[in-house]
Amino acid sequence: MLTQIRNWGTFVVSALALFWLQPASAVRHLDFWLPCATLALAAVVWVWTLPVFEAANRREVVVDVAVLVCAVCGVALLRDVPALVGVLTRTPPPEVAAVALVMVLVIGACAAVGRMRGKAAWAVGVAVLIGLLLLQKYAPATEVASGALRVLQGQSAAHASAFDWRWFGFSYVAFRLIGVLRDRVIGRLPAMRLREFVTFAVFAPALSAGPIDRPDRFLKDLRAPYTLMAPQFFAACERLLLGVFKKFVLADTLALIALSDAIAPHLRPGWAWLPVYAYALRIFFDFAGYTDMAIGFGMLLGVRLPENFNAPYLKPNLTQFWNSWHMSLSQWFRAYWFNPLTRALRIRGWEPAPIVLLGQVSTMMLIALWHGVTANFVLWGAWHAVGLFVHNRWANFARERLSFVNERPALQRVVNMAGAIATFHFVVLGWVWFALSTPSAALHALQALLFLPGLR
Amino acid sequence: MRTMSEIQSKLARFIAEKIMKQPKRELNPDQKLISSGLIDSFSLVDVGLFVEDEFGVRIDDVDLTVELMDTLVLMEQAVVARRNA
Amino acid sequence: MNERLRIFLKALAAYVVLNLIMLAGAGPTPAGLSVYNTLWPGRVRLPWGERPDLAYNLSLGNLDAMFASHEIAVPKKDDEFRVVLIGDSSTWGFLLKPEETLAARLNAAEMQRDGRRVRVYNLGYPDFSLEKDALLLHHAMAYQPDMIVWLVTLRSFPRDAQGHALTMANMAEACAAVGRTCEPRVRSLLERTLWGRRREIADLARLQLFGAAWAASGLDQYYPTQYEPVQRDLERDEKFRTYDRASGLPRVDLTFDAFDVAAHSRVPLLIVNEPMYISDGANSDVRYNFFYPRWAYDAYREMLRDEMRMRGVRYVDLWDAIPASEFTNSAVHLSPRGSQMLADILVRDLER
Repeated sequence: MLTQIRNWGTFVVSALALFWLQPASAVRHLDFWLPCATLALAAVVWVWTLPVFEAANRREVVVDVAVLVCAVCGVALLRDVPALVGVLTRTPPPEVAAVALVMVLVIGACAAVGRMRGKAAWAVGVAVLIGLLLLQKYAPATEVASGALRVLQGQSAAHASAFDWRWFGFSYVAFRLIGVLRDRVIGRLPAMRLREFVTFAVFAPALSAGPIDRPDRFLKDLRAPYTLMAPQFFAACERLLLGVFKKFVLADTLALIALSDAIAPHLRPGWAWLPVYAYALRIFFDFAGYTDMAIGFGMLLGVRLPENFNAPYLKPNLTQFWNSWHMSLSQWFRAYWFNPLTRALRIRGWEPAPIVLLGQVSTMMLIALWHGVTANFVLWGAWHAVGLFVHNRWANFARERLSFVNERPALQRVVNMAGAIATFHFVVLGWVWFALSTPSAALHALQALLFLPGLR
Repeated sequence: MRTMSEIQSKLARFIAEKIMKQPKRELNPDQKLISSGLIDSFSLVDVGLFVEDEFGVRIDDVDLTVELMDTLVLMEQAVVARRNA
Repeated sequence: MNERLRIFLKALAAYVVLNLIMLAGAGPTPAGLSVYNTLWPGRVRLPWGERPDLAYNLSLGNLDAMFASHEIAVPKKDDEFRVVLIGDSSTWGFLLKPEETLAARLNAAEMQRDGRRVRVYNLGYPDFSLEKDALLLHHAMAYQPDMIVWLVTLRSFPRDAQGHALTMANMAEACAAVGRTCEPRVRSLLERTLWGRRREIADLARLQLFGAAWAASGLDQYYPTQYEPVQRDLERDEKFRTYDRASGLPRVDLTFDAFDVAAHSRVPLLIVNEPMYISDGANSDVRYNFFYPRWAYDAYREMLRDEMRMRGVRYVDLWDAIPASEFTNSAVHLSPRGSQMLADILVRDLER
């Protein structure tokens, strides 16, 4: 019973949270349609990846769809309750008739694509999701899209800007859906009910900043009987509070002095490290804080979300840093990109060095582009790709020749500490690319940090 | 040191010889291999390929993770589970 | 869990005890924890900022903390001749980099006085209010100035223009600075607790933190890439605030008594009527600039000159000393070059 309440509650609240968290947009009704699009995408991918199209329990599907439709229509109906306008959505929602029409179209689309199955069709699905991600991450494309949407809404395209198009949580939702499509291709996807699938895709605690869970793992928690005992409750609250402290006390305080485009041109050698250290700690506490809050909320709901950070700044080398920084994202790329690529090339008899180079450069580029399609993100990715490759080759070289280090714990500790300091600073310098918007700003900052003569 | 099963010792020998390039290195069945940095993600794929050749089971790319492969014990479990499936 | 609960209860108890300790002390929040001049270099002008996120700076009401963050808080050296500049945003250096302000330009001149090295400190603070200036001067007396240079302009004088945030926050000292006595505002019980002082404490903490940005970049204000230049074409309007030609500018409505404390301090005082933009655009026959109609400003100049003569205070009138091209976004904000020109003139007065 309790489990049922938890499951339905999480399903409905997660769907509603999409609307609630979606920022306003200058394009009319976009803050309503984007969450709808997220739900529609999830529904389409669910139908598409059913083990057998007809296999779904019809009665269950009808109930799940009815609940989802009622939730969305309920949001739209709020436009007629003056006191509640702006509570769930930032701007008044569109007419319910329009919403109903769109929902009929979505259900029709689900029925249609449900029959187009097979590897090729799913590959197209992955491509569409990547295309939508690009639309969001590549500013010129975003502007075109926002112009088109403005015209569609009868507004002037002249004021279109990338700012109109902030699709809340989509980066994470898209990755979950791409993972699902890939899992389906390799036959690893568990059979899920619609409400379970939607809950997985838009799980409210993990909407804004991940982590990116795996469907089989998530489903296991969702189907386990739900109880909330005192120790579990306190542990969840502790995790939540820890997240609140990291995000709202540490990160937001450090943000006051963290590296930014405003301060970068004025940096002076020596002291310049302060804002850069502040940025490094801020981005960690911000992200780790969000993750703690997500995991804490998840625990309250009986879902054990994956960890995203494992003391990344204390790791003795760059490879281990990436094993402990934004772990669910790097794990995602490993599962769906790096491992298949490495396996394929290894089977073809490639040597390790070129595989590692190709694998790491391409993975880091993809991770970089996921943050946004800009020169500086690419440079940040390249920075880490080179660092990872160099570390890999060094480790390979050192394994045979420096194995005596492993046998002396004291020496090993010293080496690890030196490695941690060097790795931290490599990462910190990498953040300069990440934090600033242009290569020239980043170069100027690096010049001040490294006491270099003028590079400008 | 605990005695190792056949699967564990085969895996240990492969990891010590081919990945760590220290044939004499003794590995503990519960020793963390990935999270300690002894095996990187590239070498983990090699472990997967070795398992496929040696034991005739395929460990999917999505399962080559710290959670499922961090120790010899876990690796053995992964092999056994797939054999029995 | 039990242990966690104990930790939580202990923290709660500590918080309550701290609140009680704060209750016992009635004064303002102490500024003793300043890390400027030790961990970070001292600021070259008083902290002020309306947009902390852009300026890496903030405005706060705590004078002790403001002065503690300033380089003037470093003990005076034996061979130092200490000059403090008092004034409005023009002296503070709105839109000017730290090295371009009047104080910085004067320091660059490396003057000597009585065999000591002249060191000029910028204690200007934005907005026009003589009582605010007097308050800062009163506070600066603890830092042993050898000379005071006070730059003024008409807008700072009207009595009804005196309610500056800084004077409101420091009413007792502000009254003392202009020779009035006021009852200090009594803080309520709640206001004296840690909770009641959370804003003050947060401001103090932010001020210390912004020191890192100050050390790293020398930024202490936001420099917009573009600003509205000073208005050249003026309205045909002869009003100054509520005064017009008919009412005149009554002397009693101007806060000349703000000079009393400075005059009694026995520290040499130089009053400067600060340079202003003189328009040659539309209606410049009735107005000098956006701030002043000609009749009012002329009357003020005469009154100020007479007042200073009567008080026996050194006075220089530099109202038209800087060409119109050297003003930035207001009738008193100088360009970097204008600031240099003003310094070149004042060097002569400081060496005497």
